[in-house]
Amino acid sequence: MNMWPWTTSSQRTCFLFLLLSLMAPKSNAGKENLLADEAEVLQAVILADSFNKRFRPLTTRKPRCLLPICNAPLLDWTFESLALAGVQEIFVICRSHPEQIKAKIAESRWSKTGSGIKIVPILTAKETFSPGDAMRDIYTRGLVTGDFVLVMGDLVSNIRIDEVVKVHKERRKTNKDAIMTMVVKESGANHRTRSKADYAVFGLDSETFECLHYEPVMGYPPSTVASIPREILSAHPDIEIRNDFIDCAIDICSVEVPSLFQDNFDYLDIRRDFVHGVLTSDLLMKNIYCYVAKEGYAARVQDTKSYESISKDILSRWTFPLVPDNNHPAGHLYEHRRGNKYIDKDGTVILARTSTVGNKCLIGSSTKVSDNAQIISSVVGQNCFIGEGAIIDNSYIFDGTTVGPGCVIERSIIGFDVNIKENTRIDKGSLVGDDVIIGPNAHLEAFGRLSKKRGIDAVDDEDEEDEDDYADSEEEEVEAAQGTTTVNLGSESNAILWPQSAPDEDENDENVENAKNQRFMRLGDNASDLAFSDAGSESSDEESESSDDDSDFDKRLELPTSSSTSLDVPDGSSTDAIAESEFRNEVRLSLERAFTEGHSVDNAAVELKTLRMASNVPLSRVREAVVSAIVERIQIIDGGGVPQRQEIAHVVSRWGPLINKIGGVDPVETIAALQTHCASSKRLLLFGQILAALYQDDVVEESDIRKWHRSLASQSLGLSPGVRTDNMRKCWEIGSRMIQQFDEQDDSEDESQEDGGDAGNSKDGNEQDEDEDEDEDEDENSSSEDIENSSGED
Amino acid sequence: MDLGVATSGRLTREFSAVVIAGFGNEYCCAYSPSSALDLISDNRLVPLTSNNGSEPCPKALIPVANKPMIDYVLSWIEQAGVKGSSLDVLLICPSIHRPMISHHVHSGLSTLHIDVQTYDESPESNTGTCTLLRHFASRISEDFILLPCDFIPPPSLSLSTILNKNRTESLSDGSVATVCWFAALQPDKNSLVEDWGSIPPSVPIVWDDATETLLQVDTADDLDQNSEELELRMSLLSQYPRTKLSNRYQDSHVYVCRRSILDLLHEKKHFDSFREEFIPWLCKIQYQRTKREKYGHILNPITNVITQDVALKHSTLRAQKKVYSKSVLYQSNDADALSPFDPESTTDSSSLRVGLVLHPATAGFATRVNNIHSLLDINRRLLAETTYSLPTDSQSRSLIDPKAQISSDTMIGAFTQISERTTIKKSVIGKHCVIGKMARITGCVLLDHCVIEDGAKVDGCILGKNTKVGAKAELSRCVSQAGYEVGSGESFKNEKLDVSDWTAGRDDSEEDEDEEDEDEEEEESDDDDEGAVEDSEDED
Repeated sequence: MNMWPWTTSSQRTCFLFLLLSLMAPKSNAGKENLLADEAEVLQAVILADSFNKRFRPLTTRKPRCLLPICNAPLLDWTFESLALAGVQEIFVICRSHPEQIKAKIAESRWSKTGSGIKIVPILTAKETFSPGDAMRDIYTRGLVTGDFVLVMGDLVSNIRIDEVVKVHKERRKTNKDAIMTMVVKESGANHRTRSKADYAVFGLDSETFECLHYEPVMGYPPSTVASIPREILSAHPDIEIRNDFIDCAIDICSVEVPSLFQDNFDYLDIRRDFVHGVLTSDLLMKNIYCYVAKEGYAARVQDTKSYESISKDILSRWTFPLVPDNNHPAGHLYEHRRGNKYIDKDGTVILARTSTVGNKCLIGSSTKVSDNAQIISSVVGQNCFIGEGAIIDNSYIFDGTTVGPGCVIERSIIGFDVNIKENTRIDKGSLVGDDVIIGPNAHLEAFGRLSKKRGIDAVDDEDEEDEDDYADSEEEEVEAAQGTTTVNLGSESNAILWPQSAPDEDENDENVENAKNQRFMRLGDNASDLAFSDAGSESSDEESESSDDDSDFDKRLELPTSSSTSLDVPDGSSTDAIAESEFRNEVRLSLERAFTEGHSVDNAAVELKTLRMASNVPLSRVREAVVSAIVERIQIIDGGGVPQRQEIAHVVSRWGPLINKIGGVDPVETIAALQTHCASSKRLLLFGQILAALYQDDVVEESDIRKWHRSLASQSLGLSPGVRTDNMRKCWEIGSRMIQQFDEQDDSEDESQEDGGDAGNSKDGNEQDEDEDEDEDEDENSSSEDIENSSGED
Repeated sequence: MDLGVATSGRLTREFSAVVIAGFGNEYCCAYSPSSALDLISDNRLVPLTSNNGSEPCPKALIPVANKPMIDYVLSWIEQAGVKGSSLDVLLICPSIHRPMISHHVHSGLSTLHIDVQTYDESPESNTGTCTLLRHFASRISEDFILLPCDFIPPPSLSLSTILNKNRTESLSDGSVATVCWFAALQPDKNSLVEDWGSIPPSVPIVWDDATETLLQVDTADDLDQNSEELELRMSLLSQYPRTKLSNRYQDSHVYVCRRSILDLLHEKKHFDSFREEFIPWLCKIQYQRTKREKYGHILNPITNVITQDVALKHSTLRAQKKVYSKSVLYQSNDADALSPFDPESTTDSSSLRVGLVLHPATAGFATRVNNIHSLLDINRRLLAETTYSLPTDSQSRSLIDPKAQISSDTMIGAFTQISERTTIKKSVIGKHCVIGKMARITGCVLLDHCVIEDGAKVDGCILGKNTKVGAKAELSRCVSQAGYEVGSGESFKNEKLDVSDWTAGRDDSEEDEDEEDEDEEEEESDDDDEGAVEDSEDED
């Protein structure tokens, strides 16, 4: 990527402009000051750049804020939302494609005289890679003079922000440290507009709505717990934990906010870094409040999924008074028909008699829908042509696009001036960039992304001279990748297919933009294979880690999260296997060392714990390894008898306690491990004696032996017959004899025995589950490999 | 037709009450229905419950405003009209306490049918509530209410409120238990006497306000694992996205449970404390799927009881929440298509919720008398509501000297003798006490049979049964064990006075010493007094 963009003349101008504006912040600020003093002008700052690439390739030649939603550019929706809130002065911070934004602002109805709003586009440097950088820029330019409204350029809202500003100012009078008020919208945890990929759990003071805790949550990697710092309870005994907010990224900030960004140059994201930083900092002593909007609508078009849901929200009139038939931001006039159908009023829309337009549709002016075409819950732009028999299902088609006869478009976004030739099928989740020609008879598979090949149309390129070379470079990459994959996009196609978001080598799962998390943001993708994170957390169990007699340890293996991990790393199982065999080897070596050098049990245990953490294996593996190592330690003495027994007693009394010191006590599992090991070892005949020795040393108790004995696994039921199974069986019979002895010693505790029986049975069930689950994992691995392969073919 | 059956079902649906009455004995001195975990922390009514000679002082019989605390609970049960099929109240107490407790509950006016059962404690067995319930499970044949002996409910909170909530919820959406938490006493730092032991740390709980569901109770284990942060499961938060978290509340130890809870207890043998282990664990079943699968059938066995599903589907009040949680479950199942159970079966099964009744501080003061602070506090609060008048009974009246000054916020038990020119303010005096001349008693709780000799000053103290305060002794903010004797002229401040050894001839040596040092001791500063006590005890 070219970091120094002064290669073309246009960029040089841009840079000069930037320099100029940097050089003269003072005069600017002075002017603003005057304005503010005159009559408390409510200022707003729009960050018109998304700082991510979720809409590529639609956004390669166009900033995201100019993408239309319901036929009006997002930026216009944002202006409309702010105008509704009584904002008088708006700074639009633009980074990519600033010329387009400037032009848009110039032609917007808000920049006409008499609109009451002053809109100032601010070009920021190309090196502004995050909202944090933008905030620093705001600071250095001294743009804002008082409390201001900070929004993103993709906001659709009808919330009365001026009310919030009033509340904020009121609060500032008493508490100078209340530097920010975040506007959040109450919804449900599973509201369609609520992002599954990037949301947050808020901890609020029940009375003051002070935000005490902010915990960002991602769809992937899933988090199982939200951790609330205990110390906040001491000052705020009543806290509400809210997981039902749509964060609309409307912040009322005081002047200190940009300066805080300046002081903390590592703040990138406004939420994850700034809010979190302020709340957790002991030094700043600043407070952030939330404004919980119970009424009204506010949402951000953050990704293609929310693009869809917000479109539907607008069509369903949740955003009233911002609806297509009234206050349409682009100034179109639509007729609102029954069933929330919106057809342009100017009478240029031609709907063929046999065409059907379903409920919740929007059709722009001069669009022609031919015979037998079906439009279902979709938005069609202006000057479009829908051919005969085409089906447009839950899709969003921008202006000037032609859909040929017999095409089927499902849950996709089609850019401007696209030509889809006849009998082409576009599956769900696809994004088709501007000016693409596809077909005829092509088939774009689900989640395909197309853009136009560069250089085919030289004229076109010259038009967009000032285009981002950032985008260019990306397109180059895409084109470079084309060589290998050939997909039939139709004989007349000028398109290139973007590879499926190839996971970067150095990809960091921590990042919101990681490939798996992106899937939660994708239109039409329910990411069900990534396991709705909470299913996983439900089954994971703290008790499995703690050393209960509880048989919950198996639950770890049921974790859908684990299956999803292996799903996406096709060779995960093999690496796991390698890791595990390595671990076993390490344990063996470590124990050998301990045995020969005569370490204390505690030291050996510490070493094992460290090993376990390093290789991240379940506790049961450690236990198996320790048990087998101890068993192998016992010398076989020919002739058995007393010397053999002494040998066993010696080893077990020396090392037996180690079994219970590896981090958890589970005697039943210990016995099972012993049985499994003995069954495939030369020391089979010693099983009884070793068990007895363990019993003598209190490593296992009588009840444990009984429990083990009753468990199905110990009876080796359900295993395929073989020598090993026979041996298992033998061990079990030895156990039976032992229990007989116990029974003879005391046959009083009937009741407890019965109870134990139930528990034992339930445990077996689990162990079986465990096995099954492992199988499942393997299945999933293979299926995931399939998926990977197939996507590779694309 | 359905309705008819259901109503009759409800009518026959009965609760039996299980009251657990203190396990204080020599070696562990635990008084609350609690477990090994509790034993250390709950050892808080000492020395009032230490033995009086060879005779135990059961916690249940310690009076609050001259009424044994167990009476409050029993009358609460009685007011709610609890009727079991075979018995009303199963009272479980340590065998050593049985004679006294049994005598008390059967001599009272209560119309309840009370079965006093004992549980033999031995130092080896930790008798937590769970253990006890497992032991007595055969005696509990229906849904039960588990109560402590030390909960003093305010008039505004009736047991039937809790029972009604349980009745509705267990029928409508299958809640398995209902618990009651109350706003805890906000300790006033200044008034605390540190030597009396600390106020128990408040327990943060998470609950859902809309459905009144208890979702999480912070346990000691959680605190151990993460002392910095409180961890909430995301599954909890997605199922109940609007939860509240607070540490204002305390567990009343009043639990209304389904009978199936007992079956579950048999399954989970390692649980000992109901409050600290079982209830926090039970809460997790609500939102942890594997636990649901595993234990759901135990908690919610398939019965022939006709459910109200049909009616509830048409309910406008309840429907939304249900639909919502269904969608959550559906999603989670959808995600894990290999899961063997189908979404339908789960959504049909009950919520397994733990209902919660929260009693706010504004609606009347509730407390559990499980430490000395709360004992003193509740006595004072009850005093504020009473006005003293001379006993009507002539015999008792004759014992009170007309020249004694007794303030109106005082309570005096029957057959107590008060001599002339004694001043009593804001105090509860037990039965059969003897109070000498010129004594000053302010803000005290005196249990039965106390003797205060002439000129003694007692301020802010709780004196156990048979405590004897010698002439001109001064006690300030002390607690004494039953039978303790304060020598004349001695003075103590902020102390727990316990009788260290019953066999030693303590009295003699003490008195000898006192007579010698009497004058000196009065001049001594408070700090020295403590030393003096320790010295004297060492001599014993």
